[in-house]
Amino acid sequence: MDLASLIFWIIAVVLVAAALVVVGQRNIVHSALALVVVFAMASGIFLLLNAEFIAIVQILIYAGAVTILILFALMLTRIAGQRVTNPNARPLAMAVALVVSTLVGLGIIFAATVSQFAQSAPAAQLLQGTVCSLPSNNVIAIGQLLYSPSCYSYVLPFEIATVVLLVAIVGAIVISREEE
Amino acid sequence: MGLTLTHFVVLGAVLFCIGLYGALTKRNAVAILMSIEIMLNAVNITLIAFSFFNHVKPYANLLTGQIFAIFIITVAAAEAALALAMIIAIYRKRQTVDVGEIDMLKW
Amino acid sequence: MYGLYEYAWLILAAPLASFAVIVFGTRMADLWSRHHGQTAQDYAAYLREADPAFAAWETARGSGGHGEQQHAAQAAGHAGEAAHAGHGGEAGHHGDPYDDDPTVPYLTPWAKLSGYVGVVLMLLSCLYSWVLLFASLGLLPGTPRLPEEGITLFSYTWGSDAAFQPYTIAFHLDNLALAMTVVVTTVSLLVQFYSQGYMAQSAGYARFFAYLSLFAFSMLTIVFAANFLVIFVGWELVGLSSYLLIGFWINKRAKPAEERPAPSSAALQAFVMNRIGDVGFILGIMILFATTGTFDFATLAGNGPHGVAQAFAGNQALLTLAMILVFCGAIGKSAQVPLHTWLPSAMEGPTPVSALIHAATMVAAGVYMVARTFALFSAAGPQAFEVVAWIGGITAIFAATIGLTQTDFKRVLAFSTISQLGYMFVGLGVAGTEIGPGAGMFHLFTHAFFKALLFLGAGSVLHALHHAMHREVQDMRLMGGLARFMPVTAATWLIAGLSISGFPFLSGFYSKETLISLAFEHGNYGLWAITLVTAGLTAFYMFRAFFLAFGGKGGALGGIWGGPYRGEGTPHESPVTMTLPLVILAVFSIFAGYWVGFFQYLDPHAPLLDLGKIFSDGLTWLGVALSLLGIAWAYVLYCAVGWERVHKVVEANAVLRFFHRLLLHRYYVDTLYDWIVRYVVLGLCHVAAAFDRFVVDGIVNGVAGLVMELGSGLRRAETGKVQAYMTVFFGGIAVFAVVVFVLATLR
Repeated sequence: MDLASLIFWIIAVVLVAAALVVVGQRNIVHSALALVVVFAMASGIFLLLNAEFIAIVQILIYAGAVTILILFALMLTRIAGQRVTNPNARPLAMAVALVVSTLVGLGIIFAATVSQFAQSAPAAQLLQGTVCSLPSNNVIAIGQLLYSPSCYSYVLPFEIATVVLLVAIVGAIVISREEE
Repeated sequence: MGLTLTHFVVLGAVLFCIGLYGALTKRNAVAILMSIEIMLNAVNITLIAFSFFNHVKPYANLLTGQIFAIFIITVAAAEAALALAMIIAIYRKRQTVDVGEIDMLKW
Repeated sequence: MYGLYEYAWLILAAPLASFAVIVFGTRMADLWSRHHGQTAQDYAAYLREADPAFAAWETARGSGGHGEQQHAAQAAGHAGEAAHAGHGGEAGHHGDPYDDDPTVPYLTPWAKLSGYVGVVLMLLSCLYSWVLLFASLGLLPGTPRLPEEGITLFSYTWGSDAAFQPYTIAFHLDNLALAMTVVVTTVSLLVQFYSQGYMAQSAGYARFFAYLSLFAFSMLTIVFAANFLVIFVGWELVGLSSYLLIGFWINKRAKPAEERPAPSSAALQAFVMNRIGDVGFILGIMILFATTGTFDFATLAGNGPHGVAQAFAGNQALLTLAMILVFCGAIGKSAQVPLHTWLPSAMEGPTPVSALIHAATMVAAGVYMVARTFALFSAAGPQAFEVVAWIGGITAIFAATIGLTQTDFKRVLAFSTISQLGYMFVGLGVAGTEIGPGAGMFHLFTHAFFKALLFLGAGSVLHALHHAMHREVQDMRLMGGLARFMPVTAATWLIAGLSISGFPFLSGFYSKETLISLAFEHGNYGLWAITLVTAGLTAFYMFRAFFLAFGGKGGALGGIWGGPYRGEGTPHESPVTMTLPLVILAVFSIFAGYWVGFFQYLDPHAPLLDLGKIFSDGLTWLGVALSLLGIAWAYVLYCAVGWERVHKVVEANAVLRFFHRLLLHRYYVDTLYDWIVRYVVLGLCHVAAAFDRFVVDGIVNGVAGLVMELGSGLRRAETGKVQAYMTVFFGGIAVFAVVVFVLATLR
């Protein structure tokens, strides 16, 4: 077993375990803390896949910002005297949810591994526009892909994403503002 | 035995299912949000794995999967901010974050 | 060239115009002025004073002294008339104040104007039709006679496309139509004039004149019709108007003791019985149209490719069937056996209406229609005419025998009408092509006048008795000796009675004896015997009625004129508005028969009426002798013996009693129809209703119930909870995944 596999399995096990803790914990603060572990482990997976930039962003945004946000929300919506802060639905609903999610997961796994769709390699297709050869530095490569004015790039989606963010900021302020 | 795409896809699938299960069973709205974040991360893992294992010539160095992941993270961040804002707004109105009691969609 | 004739459509338009003017104008104004002209308090006070029954009715209703409610109802037209039912001066002497003609204290000027509109316009129509009649006889200098084929007055086709060509609204004038027009307008005019007296104080005065005008218009539509479509429209219009008029007294109830139905159900009966005949009529028209492709009378009778002669060549049986079916319509309209029962019931309408129905408008329509389609009947097999003649003959004797025993004054006349209509059909059926429709139409022509006179005279009697006894009396056993009180009515009635009995030198003599001798000449000895016997029976029951009503044992002239009066109160002669038409009609009843050129007028190839032959023929005098025998027998029984003793003798003898019952109950035909309707038709209706309720409704309600159940079940799916929706959403994906899995593995 090579080093990469070893690291993968360690991270994968921790990741799944932490996710199960998030879902299973009855105290919501514990769930939130386990969520940090999930994000961190996911970042490790990204590193294994040579996606350094995204790994860093994952740590910054998810493990940092989103978690803090969630914790703040928990703090603001705390209900006094509630012992189980992270309750579950009725057993029947849980059974249904279990069956549904299992079937969905099995479907995905089946499609990705066993079925003939997994075997058939995608055919090469002609790409419109100039493709610049990207440098091996992941951050530079992504930067070039996002902003390059001359080569094939994602400038337009990027700009749209910025608008989405802006709208989200404004919307969040408007929604959560306390009415006088 | 090296790592193959299948490893990552299956990992993503398992993670997605855990998140889905959480989203379907949890009653605290914040917990549902957390489960959704797990699902998004599962998708990100799958996308980046596709990007890594893509050997088809013109696409191989385009890092399309990573770009997708970046957008997903962007949108997820926006979504988290909005969702939490809504949860807080609902909490102010109803003094609860239990989705079992929030049935405003019912006509 | 035919300028004078071409405006004959005005005759048709005038009654329609007066109908429209009355219904939309003066009648509205009448109701409106009633509303404004007299306050409710005035009116209620008047009624309380005039009619003790009203006060009782008012207290029973719990609204004594509050006139507003009645007033509000009064403003609402018919409803108002209904509310008046109990208010009338003469109404209250029965227990039930609703059970009579609703009356008003006085007619408003607008109501009177309605009458004047009807009468004046009808007078103009009548005068014009008489002018045209004289012109067509060649008596008017400067105006040519009508051409034999007649002229088209008006023609309208729905579209220019050839497919629309058969469907034409066309009016047509020829001698036959003109002769009938004269009858219709004259009788209508006199009836309308008479109604001014008879219907005075009726709350529906204006409405009555509107209906009378509509009736005249409907009949004239039939008269002027140039094709089967228009005649059918007129046919149905006549049905509608008769419905409206027979059921005019909407509040009157049935009188089971006298076997008299309520006017509303009588109206319905007339309508429904006619509908039965109309089924045949429509089928006959359909057969004719399907084979020839035209409705037009002239085209059908012609020799062209659309004429029946060519179209039905080699298939005469079908034409015969078609004509018999067409005749079914006439059976219904002209009240022939077996569809005659509506006519006695129709006596429940106001008496002027009965006169109009029986003399000129309704029942004459059937005879006129057969005369109009005479050429088609001739083209058909001889069976068609045989059916016409035999139905007529059977009806004639059938109705005449019933007429022998009826005690209701108007009902005797009703059966006499049925019987005389039978004569007309005999005349049409036996005449053959060389004489044409002349014989039947001639009897229709003369009959119209004396039958109108008989009815109007009867109306005069009933009017007088109503005033004398303060209730409606139609039973002849409560009359007697009326000639003393109302000489004009009695005298005119006597003339009409003699005329219908075929007394020599009166109009009925010529038309009826012609018919009887025609039956003999054409070798139809069965029909000849029937008509001969019927003539005697007719004379008997007419004079039975005359002696019972106007004469009696112990009266002047051996009981002919006056006698003991069996009713209460003192009757008086009717006002001049009512007696004047009687006198005019009496003149016509005497002289109408002297139009010797009548056959030739209708059909130029027909012979003149040979007066000399009539008077020299022994058979004629045989008929006259039978009639005189009938009159004499009636005199013996009802003037010399007296009806009480006759009644006793009949009741004592089992055989006589049996026949009396049988005839009095009109051969139990009504009972039979009642039984059929009650058990057969209604039985089928119950089956249909059960099918409707359980199968049709079951399906409908089942579908509705299913949807309701589905809806209430699905309602539970809408919980309003996000997680439930999400579960379903991902459940769908799971199912999809399973499907993909199964499909992929199976492949």
